[in-house]
Amino acid sequence: MAKKTDSKKEPLFHVVKRDDMPAGKAWLIRIAAIVFSFLLVGLLSMAITEKSFGETYEIMFSGVFGRLFEGKTTMLWKYLQEIAILLCLALALTPAFKMKFWNCGAEGQALVGGLASIFCMIQFGSSLSYPVLMVVIVVTSILAGAIWGIIPAVFKALFNTNETLFTLMMNYIATQIIAYYVYIEGGGSNVINPVAYGNFPTVGNNDYFVNIVTVAGITVLMYAYLRFSKQGYEISVVGESQNTARYVGINVKKVIIRTMAISGGLCGVAGMLLVAGKDHSINTNLVGGDGFTAILMSWLGQFNPFIMVVMTAIVIFLRLGVAKVADTALLNHSFSEIIVGIVILILVGCEFFIHYSIKFRQSKKEVKA
Amino acid sequence: MKNLKKILALVLALVAVMTTFAACGGGETPAPEASDLKVGFIFLHDEQSTYDKNFMDAAKAACEEMGVEYAQKTQIPESKDCYDAAVELIEVDGCDIIFADSFGHESFLIDAAKKYPEVQFCHATGTQAHTAGVANFHNAFASIYQGRFLAGVAAGLKLNEMIEAGKITADQAKMGYVGAFTFAEVMSGYTSFYLGAKYVCPSVTMDVKFTGSWYDEKLEKEAAQSLIAGGCVLISQHADSMGAPTACETAGVPNVSYNGSTVAACPNTFIVSSRIDWTPYFKYMIQCVMDGKAIDTDWTGTIESGSVVLTDINEKVAAAGTAAKIEEVKAKLLDGSLNVFDTATFTVGGKAVTSYLADVDTDADFTKDTEAVEGGIFYESKHRSAPYFDMEIDGITLLDRNYG
Amino acid sequence: MTKQPAIELKNITKRFGKVVANKNVNLTAYRGEILSVLGENGSGKTTLMNMISGIYFPDEGHIFIDGKEAVITSPKEAFGYKIGMIHQHFKLVDVFSAAENIVLGIENGKYNLKDSAKEIKKISEQYGFDVDPKKKIYTMSVSEKQTVEIIKVLYRGADILILDEPTAVLTPQETEKLFAILRRMRDDGKCIIIITHKLHEVLSLSDRVSVLRKGEYIGTVNTSETSESELTEMMVGKKIDLNIQRDEPKNTEERLTVNSITCVDKTGTVMLDNVSFSVKSGEILGIAGIAGSGQRELLESIAGLQRLEYGDIFYFDPKTGKKESLRDKNPLQIRQMGVRLSFVPEDRLGMGLVGNMDIVDNMMLRSYSKGHSLFLKRNKPKSLAMKIINDLEVVTPSASTPVRRLSGGNVQKVLVGREISSSPTVLMVAYPVRGLDINSSYMIYNLLNQQKAQGVAIIFVGEDLDVLVELCDRIMVIGSGRVTGVVDARTTTKEEIGLLMTKPKDDGKENGNG
Repeated sequence: MAKKTDSKKEPLFHVVKRDDMPAGKAWLIRIAAIVFSFLLVGLLSMAITEKSFGETYEIMFSGVFGRLFEGKTTMLWKYLQEIAILLCLALALTPAFKMKFWNCGAEGQALVGGLASIFCMIQFGSSLSYPVLMVVIVVTSILAGAIWGIIPAVFKALFNTNETLFTLMMNYIATQIIAYYVYIEGGGSNVINPVAYGNFPTVGNNDYFVNIVTVAGITVLMYAYLRFSKQGYEISVVGESQNTARYVGINVKKVIIRTMAISGGLCGVAGMLLVAGKDHSINTNLVGGDGFTAILMSWLGQFNPFIMVVMTAIVIFLRLGVAKVADTALLNHSFSEIIVGIVILILVGCEFFIHYSIKFRQSKKEVKA
Repeated sequence: MKNLKKILALVLALVAVMTTFAACGGGETPAPEASDLKVGFIFLHDEQSTYDKNFMDAAKAACEEMGVEYAQKTQIPESKDCYDAAVELIEVDGCDIIFADSFGHESFLIDAAKKYPEVQFCHATGTQAHTAGVANFHNAFASIYQGRFLAGVAAGLKLNEMIEAGKITADQAKMGYVGAFTFAEVMSGYTSFYLGAKYVCPSVTMDVKFTGSWYDEKLEKEAAQSLIAGGCVLISQHADSMGAPTACETAGVPNVSYNGSTVAACPNTFIVSSRIDWTPYFKYMIQCVMDGKAIDTDWTGTIESGSVVLTDINEKVAAAGTAAKIEEVKAKLLDGSLNVFDTATFTVGGKAVTSYLADVDTDADFTKDTEAVEGGIFYESKHRSAPYFDMEIDGITLLDRNYG
Repeated sequence: MTKQPAIELKNITKRFGKVVANKNVNLTAYRGEILSVLGENGSGKTTLMNMISGIYFPDEGHIFIDGKEAVITSPKEAFGYKIGMIHQHFKLVDVFSAAENIVLGIENGKYNLKDSAKEIKKISEQYGFDVDPKKKIYTMSVSEKQTVEIIKVLYRGADILILDEPTAVLTPQETEKLFAILRRMRDDGKCIIIITHKLHEVLSLSDRVSVLRKGEYIGTVNTSETSESELTEMMVGKKIDLNIQRDEPKNTEERLTVNSITCVDKTGTVMLDNVSFSVKSGEILGIAGIAGSGQRELLESIAGLQRLEYGDIFYFDPKTGKKESLRDKNPLQIRQMGVRLSFVPEDRLGMGLVGNMDIVDNMMLRSYSKGHSLFLKRNKPKSLAMKIINDLEVVTPSASTPVRRLSGGNVQKVLVGREISSSPTVLMVAYPVRGLDINSSYMIYNLLNQQKAQGVAIIFVGEDLDVLVELCDRIMVIGSGRVTGVVDARTTTKEEIGLLMTKPKDDGKENGNG
C-alpha cells in the first residue's frame, strides 16, 4: 500500500455543481458574458477587417440604426421589426418549453401561418372588404399555426411520440407545401409577386409599426398569461412534474394540446406578420431560420418575456451590425453567422458558470457533488 | 478568487461602455461628399454561388475601372428584405444606383424605386420594367442565347468529329442537357444551344432533364449521369454547381459548360463555356448616371457589347478548327446574316413556325401577349431584355419538367 | 483482545457551499469491533462515511488506515485500502446474476465465473450467507440484494465494512439474520461501521457508539455503559420524551371502505390483488409491508390516480351519511364530489409539491382552479403559507422561496400543512417522517394525532415498525399486493408484523415455499 501525497493525486481543476446562486450574482455573470461577447465581437472584427475597434462599432451601429442621429429612423424601425419577429417566435415557444414540450417546429408553424395569410390575400383580397379581410387573415393564420402545433401535441398526448423529431418533421412538410403553393401561384417564375390586398396599414410612413406594436402587446400578454393565469400555472405544474399534475387532477393531455395550440397559433401570428406586415408575398425562406434561433432566445430569456426582449435585441443588433461589417469589408456573410454563433455560445456557456464552479488544485476537491 | 472575478467583470464592463460611446460618437461624423457617385449591389447569395460571383466580379471590375465607390449586401432573400437592403444602401451608405441580381428581387426593388425617385434602380433578369411605369427602374439581361448558340457550334463540331472517327453513327449524335427549371430563361438557353449544334451537325438530337434548383450539386450530377446512361454523348448544363461537369469528367463525356471555365477541374472533357459578362452593363449604367442620361428600360447585352462571351477553348478536347468556325459564325451573327431563332431551322410538332405569341408582359395569368415572330425570325430580347422563348421544338426531348 | 485501530479520522471537515456537513470530526474504529455511527437525519453520518469510501474528499483533516495516513480520492482507491461500503441504495445491475454483479468492475482478475462462484461459495459458508450466485438481481428480494452487496465487498477483500442504514429496508427477522452475520464478521477480526438512527439496533448490535449532531462529533461511548435516553440526548442535544402519544379512538364511524380492488401496472404485473379493508373516523390505520408491496398503488387508487381492474372504493359522507363510489374518478372529480380527501404522497417534491415553485404557489396546487376567473388569486394561498410557516415552524428565508431549497423536514411540513389545511375527513400519509429529524418527526406524529382527535380517518403507510406499533390503532400488513393480516397495534409485536410481511401466498394452491 503505497503512501500517496495530496498534490500528486489531485487533478489541476475539477467541476463542482454550485448551490443556487443568488439571482443578482447570476445576472452579474450574464451581463459580464454579454459585455465580454461584445468585446470579442469587436476584437474579432478588428482582426479580420483591419479596422479599429471604434470604427468596427461605428459600422455596426450604422448597420443597425443607420443615420439615426441625422433623424433618419428607417433603419431603427427595421431593427425593431427584426426584433419583433424573433421575439414573437420566442414568445410562442415559451409556454411549450415551460411545459417541457420541446417544440422545434416554430419555423413550420410560422410558415403555415404565413401561407394562410397569403392564401387569404390572394383568394379573398379583391372580394372582401378590408376590415373583413383582415379578420379572416388573422383568424386563419392563427388557426393554421395552431393546427401545425396541435398535430404533434395530440400524438405526444396519446402515443407519447417524441415531440422534438415530430415538430422538426412538420417543418419540412410546411416548407414543401409552400414550395408547391409558390409553384401554383407563381407559375413559371417561381416567385409570388407582392399582393396588394390585405396588407397591414402603414402608420406614419412606417411599414412595420403594426408588427412592432402587435408583438409588444403579445409580450405583455404572454408575461401575464404565464405568471398570473390559471392556465399558465397549469403549464408550470405539468412542466415540473406530470405526477404532481395528475395528483392535483390536472388533465395533462388537455394542457399539452391546449398549450401547443397557443404556441403554434402564436407562431402563426409571426408568419402573418411576415406576410401581411412585411413581404406581402411568400417563399420557403420566409422565416429564415428564426424559428430555430427563437429556441435559444426563449432559453436565454429564462422563459421570461421581458428578458427575451433584451436577448433578442442583443442578437439582432449583432446580426445586423456584423452583417454590415461583413458587407463593408466585402466579406462573406458566413462571417456574421459565425460571430452571432460565437456570441450565443458565450451566452449559453455562461449558464455553465452559474450552475457549476471550477475548483483549482489548491482548494480541496470533491469527486462528486 | 471571487473578488478577482468581480473586478475583472467590472473592468470589462467599463471598457465596453467606453468603446460603445466612442462608437456612438463616431456615428455622427458626416458622410462622404454626396457628389461622389456610389453604387449599391444587392446579391441573393454570396461568392460561393457561381451565379452571384459572376456579378460580384463584374461589380468590382466595373467600379474600379470607372473609379466609383460601391457597397454591397449579400445574402438578401427575395422578400421585403430586398427593399430594406435598398433603403439601407441609399440611406446609410449613400448609394445613387442600386442593382439587384436575382429574379425575385424585382417587385421589392420596384417598391424601393417608387420611394426613391432620385435613385436609379437596375435589375438583372427581370421582366417588369417595360410595364411597371417607374422611370428610375430598369431591367437588363444579355443575349446569352447567342453565346449558347456559339457553344452549340463547338458541341456540334465535336459530334462531327466523333461521327467521322466512327465512335458513333450520325443517328447516335444525342446530347444531354441539365436544366434548372422549365422556364423561358432555361428553355431559350438549351434551344439556342441545340440550334447551334444543329447548325453544323444536322442529325443531332437532345435530351433535357431538370433538377428544380439553381444550385444542387448532387441532383445535377445525378441528372448528368442518367443522361449519359441514356446514350447522350455530350453534356451541357444550365445550373450553377459543378455537378454536371464533374459527372462528365468521371464518365469521360465531353462537356460544354456555363458561367465560366471548368477546365481546371475537368481537363479531359471541358470544351468551352459561355457566360454573361456584366461589366459592360455596370459601366454603362454608371456612365449614364454620371452624364445625367437615362438608362435604357430594357438593356440587352450582346456579343458586340462584350456582355456575351466565350471562355478559352480547351484545344485538348474541342474538335480541330473549332476556334475558326466559332469566329466565322460569330461574324455572321454580328452582321445579321445569321439569326439564332431562325424559324427556317426548326419545327414545332413537325410544322414550321410562322407566328408565336410570347408572354412578355408580366401578369398573374401568364397571358401570351406579344407577337415575337417577324419575317421568319423569332426575335428574342427585342421586346424585353429577359428571355421569353419557350417553345418545345422538334429534336429536343424533355425527359421531365420542373417548375419549382 | 488487543485493540488495533483500523481506521482513524482526525479533524475531518467537509463543506458543501455554505453548508458544513462535517466539522472537526474525530473517530476511531478498531479491528474486531462493530462501531455504530449514530445521528439524526442530516447530521453528516453518510457524508463522513462517503469520505472514507472515496466518494468525497475532505476539505480539511486526515484519514489514517492502520496507523498510516491515507489519501482516498476514489472508491477504487478505497478498495485498495480494503475499505468497502454498502450504500443505502443498492448499486447493482438488475439483469445480471449475483455472481456477475460481484465480479463486475474488478480489473486485475480474469473474468472467470466458475472460479468466482467457488470463491463466493466460500465467503457465503464462512459467514452464513444464503445466496444463489446464478440468480438474477431483478428476481431478488431487498434482503437478498443487500446480501449480494455485502458479498461483493467481501469478495474484493474488504476488511473495513461500512453499512449505511442497512436495516431500513429489512423485516425484523431479516435484521436479526444480518446482525448475526455482522457479528460473525466482527469475530473474524473485521472492522464494521454501521450508520443508523435506530437506538435499539445500536444497543443490541454494536460495541461502541459514536454520535454526530449537526455535523459535529459529540462523543463515543461503550454500548454496555449507555442507555437509550443518554444516546438520544447526545443525538438531539436535549432530553426528549420518545414516547408517541396514542389516545383511544373516539366517535368512530365507517368513513372509507375498499372493496376487493385489483390493480395492474403498465407491464401487466398485478400490484394490488383483491385488497379489502375499511378505515373509520378517528382512527389511524397503519399499513406495513416490505417496500414496493403495493402501498403506493393502494393510496393512489384511493386518491384517484390508479385505474382499478376490479373492485370499488366507497366513501361515507359524514354530513349526509351518503355512500359514494370513488371508482374511476380523478382527483379533481373526487374533490368536486365534496370528498375531503387529503394525500401526502411518498414522493414529496415529485408529486405532492412542485420543487421549483415557491411556498405560496405550492399552496394553490389543490385550490387554484376554484372560481371562474381566468386568473389566479394569490391572496389566500399567501396567508395560508404564512400561517403554515408560523404554526409548523417552517425554516425558510421567505414564503417565496422555492420549496426544493428547503430541508426535508421543512418540505414535509409544507406538504402536510397544506393537506391538513383543507380540513380533510380522510388523510392518507405515505412515509411521512422519512428523512426527517426527530423533532420534525414528532411534530408530524402530533399533527396526525390532532387530526385523529378531530375525527379524521387516517391511513398511515410507514416503514419503521416501532413507530407503527406505537402510533397506530390498527395495522394492516400487505405483502406482494395482498392483505396478509390486520392486527391490533396495541397488542401486536414487531416480530408478528415481520412474519406477516413475508407471509407466503396462502390460497391453498401454493403452500409456503416462498
